[in-house]
Amino acid sequence: MDVWQQFIILLEGVPLTLSISLISFLVGIAVGLPLAFIRVYEKEIGFVVDAYEKIFRGVPEIVLLIIFFFGLRPFFPFPFGNAFFVACFVLGLRSGANQSQIYRGAIRGVGDEQMIAGMSVGFSKWRAIWHIMVPQVFSFSTAGLGSEYALLIKDSAYVYVIGLAEVMTRSLQWARNGAGDYVTPFVLGAAIYIALTFPLAYWLDRWGERRKKKIGL
Amino acid sequence: MEARHVYKTYGIKNPKKAKKEDAETCVDIKHVVEAVKDVSLQIRKGDIKLIFGPSGSGKSTFLRCMAMLDIPDKGEIYLGDECLTAPGVDLNKARARIGFVFQHIYLFRHLTALGNVELALRKVLELPKDEARKRAIDALTEVKLTDCINKYPSQMSGGQAQRVGIARAIARNPDIILLDEPTSALDPELTGEVIDTLRDLAKEGTTMLIVSHEMPFAREVAEEMIFYDEGGVVETGPPSLFFNAPNTDRAKQFMTRIINRTTRE
Repeated sequence: MDVWQQFIILLEGVPLTLSISLISFLVGIAVGLPLAFIRVYEKEIGFVVDAYEKIFRGVPEIVLLIIFFFGLRPFFPFPFGNAFFVACFVLGLRSGANQSQIYRGAIRGVGDEQMIAGMSVGFSKWRAIWHIMVPQVFSFSTAGLGSEYALLIKDSAYVYVIGLAEVMTRSLQWARNGAGDYVTPFVLGAAIYIALTFPLAYWLDRWGERRKKKIGL
Repeated sequence: MEARHVYKTYGIKNPKKAKKEDAETCVDIKHVVEAVKDVSLQIRKGDIKLIFGPSGSGKSTFLRCMAMLDIPDKGEIYLGDECLTAPGVDLNKARARIGFVFQHIYLFRHLTALGNVELALRKVLELPKDEARKRAIDALTEVKLTDCINKYPSQMSGGQAQRVGIARAIARNPDIILLDEPTSALDPELTGEVIDTLRDLAKEGTTMLIVSHEMPFAREVAEEMIFYDEGGVVETGPPSLFFNAPNTDRAKQFMTRIINRTTRE
């Protein structure tokens, strides 16, 4: 096969790379936001969040992937037998730990007075968080979220260890089958990762700048 | 609305966890600020009362206790017949019946003027969309802000923003409005428009408890003035008492100083 055909095969891994990183990103939002608010506003159970963050930020993704996939598959074939699920699960929970820290900084930036104003019109703590803090926290977090997303695109490469045929796995196969050329497959793979990383990060940044201007920060 | 023997202390970080021996030995008494010491105050429907006194004396803390934004250490707060300091009271419901206007305004920055006023109507009172919008626009009309309902707080002047703050507080038709120095963070030329708004509210018989040093305004609208210093009420009486001859020396000194300042301006 010539280089072009091989490159097409690499490109066919893009949907998988993208869907793993996007779903993990969304899982990260769903996990990270509540964790951040618990950490700031429910200090009594903050240590649980702290432990969670330490574990998921302290253990390499590749180790987590192996533990959750090969370790849990025999006991819980559903859902841990599904490599795609495990990929999104592990990367999403890891991203949640990261995002929790991003949002925590943003919550401080938005300021407690917005909460007090929310309580003064009759909102409960968690409803004030939802209606008043969350929209502003996102505007504050876009820079951090952009780099978190870039991180996820890159970390999705680790899922080759559980056998998902995304870009990294395909580069690896090409390199193994090829005539000793280890450079071309990975250089082309790298180009694909760069192309995937920047559009969303760029868009998030732009959106954040516009929002911040509107909010007056 | 009524406050009975309310106390609020600052300084001990976590009074629940502080053990007795800690309180006696480790906590430096100087760090404990008694912002509210045995304060009682009653305000009936349609009353306008004005609290004034030196800065740092605890006026704002007391006002926040009235709204249960700060929980008093001791004493009771009544809203109508309901005791808000009793255990098990739904404070969110109670706060929805109290309007609060902040010194530093605290508008929701991600929402327009209309959004700021509408939010609680939609999500707290759970009014249907049309009615919430109508009431929000009514409130904004009342503070004469119909021309900037779609502006964000960052696009408004301080006076406009504070009038939105007032609209946000009155839109729910609260039983009482508590105003914490509504003009003191504004440029002098902007205080007039906010004072005019408050004057209009006063004419309509709105129940208000105001912390303010706007003396001409106080004289005009307040039924009673309360001189507050060092965490307690020093003297109460009608404006005429304070403007002619207050009974206590402290009030006398304070009035002299504040009137001199006003005339110098």
